[in-house]
Amino acid sequence: MRELMARRVNLLGAATIAAALLLWEAAIHVGLLTFTYLPPPSDIANGFSELLSTGELQENLWHTLSAAVSGWLMAAVIGVSAGALLGLFRPLWRYSMASVEALRALPVVAFVPIAVLLYGFTKEMEIVVACYAAVWPILLNTFAGMRGLDTRLREVGHVLGLGRAAAFWKLQLPAATPAIMVGLRLGLSISVVLTLVAEMVGNPAGLGFALVQAGQALQPEQMFAYVVVIGVSGIVLNTVLMAIARGVFRGQMAAAGDAA
Amino acid sequence: MPVHADQKSAAVPSFTCENLQVTLVGAAGANVILDGIDLTVARGEFVSVLGPSGSGKTTLLRVLGGLQEKSGGTVRSADAPVEGPPADVVTVFQDYSHSLLPWRSVRRNVALGIESKLTKPECAERVAEALTMVGLQESADEYPWRLSGGMQQRVQIARALAMRPSVLLMDEPFGALDAMTKASLQDQLQRVQELTGTTVVFVTHDIEEAVYLSHRVLVLEGRPAHVGLDLAIGLPSPRDQITTKESPEYLALRHRVYEAMGHGKRHA
Repeated sequence: MRELMARRVNLLGAATIAAALLLWEAAIHVGLLTFTYLPPPSDIANGFSELLSTGELQENLWHTLSAAVSGWLMAAVIGVSAGALLGLFRPLWRYSMASVEALRALPVVAFVPIAVLLYGFTKEMEIVVACYAAVWPILLNTFAGMRGLDTRLREVGHVLGLGRAAAFWKLQLPAATPAIMVGLRLGLSISVVLTLVAEMVGNPAGLGFALVQAGQALQPEQMFAYVVVIGVSGIVLNTVLMAIARGVFRGQMAAAGDAA
Repeated sequence: MPVHADQKSAAVPSFTCENLQVTLVGAAGANVILDGIDLTVARGEFVSVLGPSGSGKTTLLRVLGGLQEKSGGTVRSADAPVEGPPADVVTVFQDYSHSLLPWRSVRRNVALGIESKLTKPECAERVAEALTMVGLQESADEYPWRLSGGMQQRVQIARALAMRPSVLLMDEPFGALDAMTKASLQDQLQRVQELTGTTVVFVTHDIEEAVYLSHRVLVLEGRPAHVGLDLAIGLPSPRDQITTKESPEYLALRHRVYEAMGHGKRHA
């Protein structure tokens, strides 16, 4: 039990981060680092509490995360169902493979100006961009997971008299769950990134815009505070997703060696 | 004489093959694997299929189980021609770890084939019964990949038994297990077969196992393979790992099968 707690908290890892921060702080005070706009961690902490006290941070954080997560949720529904359909029906894949490959290869950033044109400077635009970015890894991983069903398991289904529908729900989909989870995790981080990009170059709102604004206002301590918040929220989102997955798909995740 | 006097409908055999031919298409083109197979498996009979590796034992089993198409002749399961897996025939595969659903507990693995056909209490009862037959009641809530190889194979056998099949097709089910586990599973299978009267077609490369368990042993030979030897094993049941294997009858039968497999004289 103690070991488990220790692993969860990872004291050594935390100590490394603390040491790096101390080093950073010291290097600036001693004069080793002399960038004009590189604040020491203590200033960043001040910037953070300023943003917190005005409520700016919470507002921007909520804006960005709600957009990213909504986009990602849409992508999850679209990506998993489309990936499952493509995995189930071969002809469908043959017709759409070229389009999927082409669209996937297009850098999503290039899609942002188009989304701005279509949806204007709105939160909807951010959601659409996040969704578009996240849908590809989710779709392709779902597809691969569905196709990757062991021939033996397929035969087990035949032998035990499982029909097509039962084989899908009881064999193919659960067998694809670890692959789908990989897609969902990739999709989640990509949707956060693209939401930020959409805010930096499109809709002037949320963490992305606040970050750019702080930079332009020559407030590096606020800028760095935002960077830290963005980083931490990415980690938190991923942790929450994995915790949910372990709860809901206990067997699949344990079998894939993820929660054992 | 096979030792299964108490069978009711012995009139309708579990399987009848006439002039069966099977062609597999591989990288090097079509390959006739089995040709001219005539075979009848009586209800309640335990038949083992032996043969050198690559002789088509597994292919024969897959054809009986409806997992492989034939290219000629006829195959009938009970009264009906085999087209896809027959309803009351269940195949048990050698690779248990790939045949079990790793995300389902042992209990839910065993329930897989019956859960949508029965009510919940009926299903639970059948699962419990099948697990008891293979002695796995205590591991019901464990995940299969946490179990030993022998236990995993018992889960697969329990899953097959839960279907209450009239025929079990077993493809080298104990091939990947150590000698001790193998012996105890052989005896368990023997007991279950006697208890349920299930017909068993058992593919193995282990001559001793075939003679020990079966009412009849078939040896495939030639390329394409045909039935080279069809030998009734008239040993009394129940059989015992020590006394049966020391009896002169067992040794004589074992001798004949080894010879049919090409041992003793020369080795191919």
